[in-house]
Amino acid sequence: MENVHITSSFDKDLGEIKARVVKMGTLVASQLSEGMLMLANPDAARVEALVKNDRKVNGMNTSIAKHAERLIALRQPMALDLREALSPINIATELERIGDHAKSAAKRSQKMLRGAIPPEFQALLSAISGLLQTQIDDVLRAYDKSDLALAAHVREQDRQVDDLNRKVFELSVLALSDGKRDAATLMNVVLVSRNLERVGDHIVNIARYVNQIVTGDDLKATE
Amino acid sequence: MNSPFLSARNVSIFYGDKQAVFDVDLDIEANKVTALIGPSGCGKSTFLRAINRMNDQISSCRFEGSLKIGGQDIYDKSVNVVALRAQVGMVFQKPNPFPKSIFENVAYGLKIHKLTSSKTELQDRVEWSLKSAGLWDEIADRLNEPGNSLSGGQQQRLCIARTIAVEPKVILMDEPCSALDPIATAVVEELIDNMRKDFTIVIVTHSMQQAARISQQTAFFHLGQLVEFGETKDVFTNPREQRTQNYITGRIG
Repeated sequence: MENVHITSSFDKDLGEIKARVVKMGTLVASQLSEGMLMLANPDAARVEALVKNDRKVNGMNTSIAKHAERLIALRQPMALDLREALSPINIATELERIGDHAKSAAKRSQKMLRGAIPPEFQALLSAISGLLQTQIDDVLRAYDKSDLALAAHVREQDRQVDDLNRKVFELSVLALSDGKRDAATLMNVVLVSRNLERVGDHIVNIARYVNQIVTGDDLKATE
Repeated sequence: MNSPFLSARNVSIFYGDKQAVFDVDLDIEANKVTALIGPSGCGKSTFLRAINRMNDQISSCRFEGSLKIGGQDIYDKSVNVVALRAQVGMVFQKPNPFPKSIFENVAYGLKIHKLTSSKTELQDRVEWSLKSAGLWDEIADRLNEPGNSLSGGQQQRLCIARTIAVEPKVILMDEPCSALDPIATAVVEELIDNMRKDFTIVIVTHSMQQAARISQQTAFFHLGQLVEFGETKDVFTNPREQRTQNYITGRIG
């Protein structure tokens, strides 16, 4: 193995905290997917379960921050190690926000009737959520493997999410103008689309953290 | 970068046939703390000792290259080594007060270099040195007690007071806190930070955190070579060289 620590327990600690972040990310991804299912097929019990799971996500965020704090205090990491030890705090916070958006989308489904979302909007929302699922998987893998190329690809893909979100907005404006669609449903669709667009932004932030861990460069300033 | 106060060019140091330092170029700025770090046997202490020609005392030791302080080549034949060591003081790993009183420990250098012209002036300089070393308040009424009756941390500050009494330009420190407890270490670190306004300090330390806390510039040595030299904040957050990264993060390189 290349570049392992002389104190092997340090590698173990870093590996454990990374695994916790990936596990949290996997749960958040499934929350998002569940939230999107709820939009198509609202189900009060499943929404309630999703809200309950979101508390679990929040708890994981707190626990990761505590682990990172302990790691920093006990190991006094430097350079790359310091970024590896600090990043779980930031990444878990981003994941926690993604979880909030998934919850928000799911709760919104309770305000709409089953099948209320017009098919062309449902197709757009499904396209965005499909993209986001791939992006979450990719960004978690990029983080786990310190894969800079994959992290760059994830950042690049966010444009597609933005484009689709814009399309939802434009279509909604048109549909509202001709008055054939229910305005409340359209407003809900726009707000869900906005939730998804924000999810995309949080994924981009995580991809930037991956870059920062490896290179030390902060992309927020340049991108 | 400001013009360097201490400038090493192509410095190679040998112990007999064995080369300990390889072709080092290093510029050290005035009124800054420069930390030399690296694993044991990397040449950092040998390089430090070359700065006041301490290695001259080792018959097998040979120096090549040039080392200038304030523009003066300290290996030039015209240089008086005793006078040089008054200009370039040294604090060692283990506190080593002379077997004399606290007062005499500090007064000794002033006397042998004849730096004071009266008893009052001598007393004033001793007091100034002890105050500068942050020791005066603790020992002002014990000046005639033996230096080695002090605690380890106080003894090290006494050695620092003894070093600064002759007002050197440069102070070399070879792991000055490695024999001290964390509280005494913090006191000496605070002292080093205060001293840099008056002196140029070069310190060898095995504590990465100490180097990060007290120095402005850091040089990383490995196998006798200067691998990386730069601002401490860069070296410890985003080093340029993989070897530096491996060392400061405790990785097998």
